[in-house]
Amino acid sequence: MFKYYLMLSWLSVKRTPMLTALMVLAIGLGISVTMTVLTVNYLMGKDPIPEKSHQLFHVQLYTYGKDRSNPRSADGYPYQVTYQDAMNLSRSEIPNRKTRSLQTGYSVIPSSSDSSPFMETARAIDSDFFAMFKVPFIYGGAWESSVDTKAKQVVVLGKEINDRLFKGENSVGKQVNLNSNLYTVVGVIDDWQPAIHYYDLNNNHFGDTQQIFVPFSLLPVLELPSWGNNNGWKTETINTYQDKLNSEQMWNQFWVELESPQQKEKFQAWLEGYVEQQKQLGRFEHENAGGSLKDVVEWMDYNNVVSDDNTILVGLAFMFLAVCLINTIGLLLAKFLRRAPEVGVRRALGASQGEIFVQHLVDVGLIGLAGGTLGLLLGQLGLWGIKQLYANYHQLVYMDMTLVVLAILIAIGSSVVAGLYPAWKICRTNPSIYLKIQ
Amino acid sequence: MLQMNNIKKVFRTDLVETHALRDFSLQVEEGEFVAVTGPSGSGKTTFLNITGMLETFDGGTYMLDGQDVKGLNDKQRSRLRNEKIGFIFQSFNLIPDLNLFDNVDVPLRYRGFSSKERKQRIENALERVGLSARLKHLPSQLSGGQQQRVAIARALAGEPRFLLADEPTGNLDSLMARQVMQLLEEINQQGTTIIMVTHDSELARRAHRNIHIVDGQVSDYQDLQPVLEVAEA
Ligand SMILES: Nc1ncnc2c1ncn2[C@@H]1O[C@H](COP(=O)(O)OP(=O)(O)O)[C@@H](O)[C@H]1O
Ligand SMILES: [Mg+2]
Repeated sequence: MFKYYLMLSWLSVKRTPMLTALMVLAIGLGISVTMTVLTVNYLMGKDPIPEKSHQLFHVQLYTYGKDRSNPRSADGYPYQVTYQDAMNLSRSEIPNRKTRSLQTGYSVIPSSSDSSPFMETARAIDSDFFAMFKVPFIYGGAWESSVDTKAKQVVVLGKEINDRLFKGENSVGKQVNLNSNLYTVVGVIDDWQPAIHYYDLNNNHFGDTQQIFVPFSLLPVLELPSWGNNNGWKTETINTYQDKLNSEQMWNQFWVELESPQQKEKFQAWLEGYVEQQKQLGRFEHENAGGSLKDVVEWMDYNNVVSDDNTILVGLAFMFLAVCLINTIGLLLAKFLRRAPEVGVRRALGASQGEIFVQHLVDVGLIGLAGGTLGLLLGQLGLWGIKQLYANYHQLVYMDMTLVVLAILIAIGSSVVAGLYPAWKICRTNPSIYLKIQ
Repeated sequence: MLQMNNIKKVFRTDLVETHALRDFSLQVEEGEFVAVTGPSGSGKTTFLNITGMLETFDGGTYMLDGQDVKGLNDKQRSRLRNEKIGFIFQSFNLIPDLNLFDNVDVPLRYRGFSSKERKQRIENALERVGLSARLKHLPSQLSGGQQQRVAIARALAGEPRFLLADEPTGNLDSLMARQVMQLLEEINQQGTTIIMVTHDSELARRAHRNIHIVDGQVSDYQDLQPVLEVAEA
């Protein structure tokens, strides 16, 4: 019977091509706007590393003095840690992997004299960083872990900068001039572009990832500057780089990888011990002083990666879809009522109300399918537009299979909902009215 | 067998109440050919529609093949209509964008026959009305008389026990009307009970029985059995 209904729907499309086209257009527009907004929203909120998002933890310490807190965070904790805490935390033997992290930057001086120096952001980290965040290598690999304690001028390059400096060749062992210091290349990573910079949500959430990775241990040696946020609460005199390292300024980040809940518990206990110890030393004066572990998903939530604005935008998009659907309801009523005489004949020949109802819903479903397909095409156009407007969003503007299927389902589902009333109306009309000729 | 007792039908609009049928009683036996006549607006179509369960009624009882129609829901009524009743209308009411084959197919689809059985029945039915060569034609490509024959084929394809015809010759010239009438008589002779509304007294006289409706009631009826017997003799 379903095939029969499909055949009838096709006939009815042929009978009312304009009306059908209008409905497909209305649904297509609604779906395209909804899907464009939904795509961005969905990719923003998507777990960037599902296979281990519950094993990677961002560490926070409540280092504030009395009556101090972070007014912007949900629990008052600061987002970052001080250098001394980053150093102390990295001494714990409990985590499988751990990394200190800082956004910094360099002036890159190419070796050939015909290209001019350029500025580039960089990340100072420990060797575990690459394995923790599953950064893929093309050539070489991370530096040896001994470098994390005994600084060496080594660097891991991104694919893009390796293409630029070395024409994409294997540059392991070659040297790069950063701020007039020579660094030896130990690895080149592939194009690594997580949609969200979840490993550093203090700075830009979106956009291109860094192209230069150097050992964190170089900080005191080369006095690497922070190219990210610095937060302080204490009145301190900071004249030298050493002053900054000793200060209560929060400008570093710390991540640990903990395999099991037991390990997490153990590390949490260790953190509390650390806080106690620091209290003895006269730091951590706040009554809430403590340590907090947040996994990737919690950390994204905590940082409002999907902002309320985005959620409102999704709401508005769905409202637009609703408006399109209300229009569709009107058009459907017109289309169906035009067919009332035929429905009268079918009823006289033995079709039940249920059968008429289903026939019309199949009709609507087909229109929904066409509208959904059109919506997907228009949606691609919308995403392309976003890409042109917001360069930072380019990792957020592709539709994966889930979204394509979702778009079609929303299109069919919502048009069937729109079709319920018209289909109900047409199946309830008294057939004899349309059969009568006076 | 069909039995109506004291059927009442009232149409209500905001302004008026029309008593389309009042105290309407009638019995039709298996195999009968009943012609229904009466002035315009007397309730003939209403009677046929109630008979075919396209219209509900407000009082009285209606038994179709021993089954009380009042207690049935839409699905049961549709099923019963599909299996036992064939409709023919004055304006043919073929579906314009379906070809003859697909038009005759309509009641069979709702019956749930296999495609093989449907094909067989459609071809037989169209053959019976002399149109088996035009399966792929659209209704608009046929004359009025031919269209009505398709409608008859469509009504017959499911082999219903009752054929309800509402002025089936009203839109046809007298030659075509006689052909259609002849076809109906053949069908009746093969056992199908026919109730036909008509304005044409000549055609009415060819039926077994005439029922005259005036103002929503059966006014009188003449038993034309003897006339028919004479004709057959
Ligand atoms: N759907 C309806 N709504 C209101 N009045 C109706 C409706 N159908 C029929 N009538 C009225 O009922 C009466 C009988 O109509 P009908 O059965 O069509 O008569 P006939 O077929 O004998 O010409 C008429 O007065 C007609 O106006
Ligand atoms: Mg009438």
